[in-house]
Amino acid sequence: MTIQREQLEADVLIVGAGPAGLACALHLANLIKEHNADGAKPQLSAENIYVLEKGRDLGAHQLSGAIMNPAALAELVPDFQKSAPLDTPVTESAALLFTKNASYRAPITPPPFNNAGNYVISLGKLVKWLGGLVEAAGVNIFKEFAGAELIYEGNGIAGVITEDKGVDKNGKPKDNFTPGYELRAKVTVLAEGPRGSLTKKLVAKHSLDNINPQTYGIGIKELWEVQSGKIKPGYVAHTLGWPLDTKTYGGGWIYGMSNNRVSLGLVVALEYKNPRFDPHAAFQTWKTHPFVKNLLDGGKLVRYGAKTLPYGGWYAMPRNYLDGALIVGDSGSFLDAQRLKGVHLAMKSGMLAAETIFEALVDGDTSAKTLKQYKDNIDASYIKEELFRVRNFHQAFHNGLLDGFFYSGLQELTGGRGLIDPMRTHPGYENYDKVHGRPAAPRFAGDGKLTFDRLTDVYHSGTRHDEDQPCHLKVLEPNICVDRCAEEYGNPCQYFCPAAVYEMVKEGNSQKLKINFANCVHCKTCDVADPYQIIDWTVPEGGGGPNYEGM
Amino acid sequence: MKILVVTEQRQGKWNNASFETLVAAQQIAGAHSGSVSALVIGKGVALLAEELASKNVAEVLAVDHDLLENYSPDGYCAALKQVIDSAKPDLVLFPHSYQVRDFAPKLAASLGKGMIGDCVAFRDEAGKLVFVRQMFQGKTAADVTFVGVGPWFASFQSGAFRADLLAAHPSGKAPVNAANVQLKAEDIRTKPLELFKEAKSSVDLTQAPLIVAIGRGIKAPENIAQAEALAKALGAEVAASRPICDEGWLPMERQIGSSGQTVAPKLYLALGISGAIQHVVGMKGSRTIVAVNKDQNAPIFEIADYGVVGDIFEIMPALTEELQKAK
Amino acid sequence: MNIIVCIKQVPAKDAPLAIAGNWIKESDIGFEMNEPDSYALEEALRLKEKHGGEVIVLSLGPERFKQTIKEALAKGADRGIHIADENFAQLDPLNVAKVLAAAIAKEKCDLVLTGLQSDDQGYGQTGVLLAGLLNLPHATIIMQIDVQDGKMKLKRELEAGWFQWVECSLPAVLSIQSGINKVRYATLKGIMAAKKKEIATVTRESLGVNVEPTQKIEKIYVPTKTKKTEFVSGTPKEVAAKLVEKLKFEARVI
Repeated sequence: MTIQREQLEADVLIVGAGPAGLACALHLANLIKEHNADGAKPQLSAENIYVLEKGRDLGAHQLSGAIMNPAALAELVPDFQKSAPLDTPVTESAALLFTKNASYRAPITPPPFNNAGNYVISLGKLVKWLGGLVEAAGVNIFKEFAGAELIYEGNGIAGVITEDKGVDKNGKPKDNFTPGYELRAKVTVLAEGPRGSLTKKLVAKHSLDNINPQTYGIGIKELWEVQSGKIKPGYVAHTLGWPLDTKTYGGGWIYGMSNNRVSLGLVVALEYKNPRFDPHAAFQTWKTHPFVKNLLDGGKLVRYGAKTLPYGGWYAMPRNYLDGALIVGDSGSFLDAQRLKGVHLAMKSGMLAAETIFEALVDGDTSAKTLKQYKDNIDASYIKEELFRVRNFHQAFHNGLLDGFFYSGLQELTGGRGLIDPMRTHPGYENYDKVHGRPAAPRFAGDGKLTFDRLTDVYHSGTRHDEDQPCHLKVLEPNICVDRCAEEYGNPCQYFCPAAVYEMVKEGNSQKLKINFANCVHCKTCDVADPYQIIDWTVPEGGGGPNYEGM
Repeated sequence: MKILVVTEQRQGKWNNASFETLVAAQQIAGAHSGSVSALVIGKGVALLAEELASKNVAEVLAVDHDLLENYSPDGYCAALKQVIDSAKPDLVLFPHSYQVRDFAPKLAASLGKGMIGDCVAFRDEAGKLVFVRQMFQGKTAADVTFVGVGPWFASFQSGAFRADLLAAHPSGKAPVNAANVQLKAEDIRTKPLELFKEAKSSVDLTQAPLIVAIGRGIKAPENIAQAEALAKALGAEVAASRPICDEGWLPMERQIGSSGQTVAPKLYLALGISGAIQHVVGMKGSRTIVAVNKDQNAPIFEIADYGVVGDIFEIMPALTEELQKAK
Repeated sequence: MNIIVCIKQVPAKDAPLAIAGNWIKESDIGFEMNEPDSYALEEALRLKEKHGGEVIVLSLGPERFKQTIKEALAKGADRGIHIADENFAQLDPLNVAKVLAAAIAKEKCDLVLTGLQSDDQGYGQTGVLLAGLLNLPHATIIMQIDVQDGKMKLKRELEAGWFQWVECSLPAVLSIQSGINKVRYATLKGIMAAKKKEIATVTRESLGVNVEPTQKIEKIYVPTKTKKTEFVSGTPKEVAAKLVEKLKFEARVI
């Protein structure tokens, strides 16, 4: 159906109200305020900054451990210590090695895991608070609106089309059908988080890839309320080892928060060889380790979530400026894979973007030529300082942990150069071994108290979608699932999706792929890890998705 | 304690929940050395009043007036206020019907009193009457008490008490007294017009007292007919867990669960439903849960009052037959 | 037609509830517009589109309720009245209605709409009580409203598939059945315009309402199942017979 779309114009359009997008909006609004106060021309308005957020509320789709380095926040909101909802300062940092029945603590916590000076936070709460500051500054934040399509123009983009609302599951308009808007802006900032759906398409269309493809990990998290006295607020532990083998890159985390809450989870690189590896099951198994079990005994699961993270680092960073566009945050690969810190880098990238945009608006030139200043600013900032040092870190682990320690050790001594610079990688989905039709092992069931099956966990993510809408997970060639993938890889989507979205079900004598899209927690793992790269994650109707309240 | 029960009738036919309310009244009276007056309201209610007189009540009040032939909130409130003013009950009880929802709170308010509606039980705590009702769509229960002096007003949810426990009058018959009320036509501001039945375009499962729900165990759409037959024999509505509605085997409005309706009927019969938490949160407030599943470890059994580990395709027809026998 | 819609904010449907005395813990849970109220709001907006006039949303609750008022403004309501009260959960239905009625009495309106009931307390009395306090005619569980020459023809839902037409003059109070319309989405323009729309904040005291409680919620709790699952076994015929008997005489549900 050809749809008449209403056109709206903004100066700046930011897609995604996470730490990067909101830091960009707030910093820009502050710069504009100062500029206007000085009577400078042209007068600008923060009301011409639009932020789109697909979640039902700010923070609903934010997921992270999280330990935050306060550097960027201190620049953005100088009195943050009084006003920001920081849960607790880190009081102790431990690095633990798990074997099946024991845990060993490193006598000296290696520097990347030493978090003194940082804060344990709920990223969702931080984002909600930041959003309040952004709105108070006059910026328009539109919740429950997603960026569905880019408006390409010339060598860059002219804006974004938001999603159509009120379409039924057969694609027909319902009574309350409301077409998406054609939102045009002088600068569009893509702040969609890891594996942004618009960013992905932009990078492909304009060949913005760097020398390494982006590689990802999946982080699976649970928030628990434990018995009093089990853990100290501010206690931070990272674990290596069991149940992951030396070939599987990943580890666990345990962060003690206030009010007897604990954030815990497992991160696994989506580069493993066994296509039937189940990250969710690995996480549940990790919880049965005596160290974790003892912590959680008598406690209660509060919330569950999952999200990918970009591990690629500096050499996987796409070109982040075009005519009329900038890329910030996880969408732009601003994650320190060694320290597992991305919040401050996301915010800093947003602020640097704001500075460039401000100049561009004042000069009336938002072309790539002017916006390139953003990249130059990054190069001159602590973002590059931090990321360049670890530019080969994740890639060092390509052949497993032992090699990884060796290479990354050398990198530490040589400012990141190591033995090979740059270390090249290939996408994680190319690593799978074939299963040749071998039958699968029974699925993890969970005991319902300490460990849970996927469906129970997904219930605790608060995710919901209007079921009468088209499926937002587009499988471009569904025949492959039955004709090739079943035999070659055993349909890994059933294993890597942490939300029980994908199922192969019997149909007559054969099978078919069933997609329970309403369970989707918007983690993007399927888009990343599918061996044939035929799954295209697109935005569902705004408001749908998880509700990571308190996470 | 003097208890007045306001029964409900339409065009000479009882709303049977009225008898449940009488049972509640008898129980409260028993515990508080009270007496129960049963009231019938409408036009030409003599026969109905006689029927009430055969129950164990202290008296029957018949409110008979031309202007009460068809229900209107103004008419009923004006009439009942006069009756309450003269009869001076301590507690006025109603069945919680659509009609009662429409006028009873206003009646209480006209006397400056509050109403505790939709109660599922009552309790005595050290001589104090505590009413129990559901909150947060059945996720929690609430104990509510009256503050201040009566008359107090309360309504009971359909099925909270069992109508056939209504005791008959010990010595034959209670006195039937006419309660005369003054009403003026111009005081009735809404004009009731025709009543009609309609195939409802949407089903409200939250109002269904009995529900037969099917899950993945039903295997194929052609098997749903067996569940429908059982539902018919039971007088129940058919509902389903999400996968059934996802497949389009039943319309989405029949879905029970976190992404569908939340219900708390008298009876929930779960057939071939595993009991995943997404479904359970939509029905665990049900008064009685019966689960049939061939997997003895299915989580549904954790919340069921009665469980049958068996094949639903054998149990469904057997139950249907048994229920039809009883009719 | 000037229409006042009473709306409320309730915990999100999927919010895990933690009980605190006679209410729930409000921290770390999401809130949303009471779904039945959204149908009332939609009905009001449709009536305004047809007959002109103004839609005012009225809400009694703590500061966080302003978010829900803004959502209503974003959908097309013209202005909002927020009766600020942090202790709203302790007010019984009659007193809630008294406060709302005091605010409504200050406005010139033709119609007051409420949702069927709230998803938290679920009394379903507000509309009826407002009618009593404002001395206006009312009707509940309304499926359809036809307005002509200052009079309304209303379709009322009854039990067991029955319906009734009712005639009622304006002004009046109506409680709207859920699901009678498809609720509209807030548009971008609507959201931006909402920022400039007025939300008047008043208090119970400023409205001159004296609250005299008529009932009290002593406590709320999760109903615990005192019985263990009773398994019924035997041949299908035996199981059926035993089950029907238990349902009739033990559980007393049929």
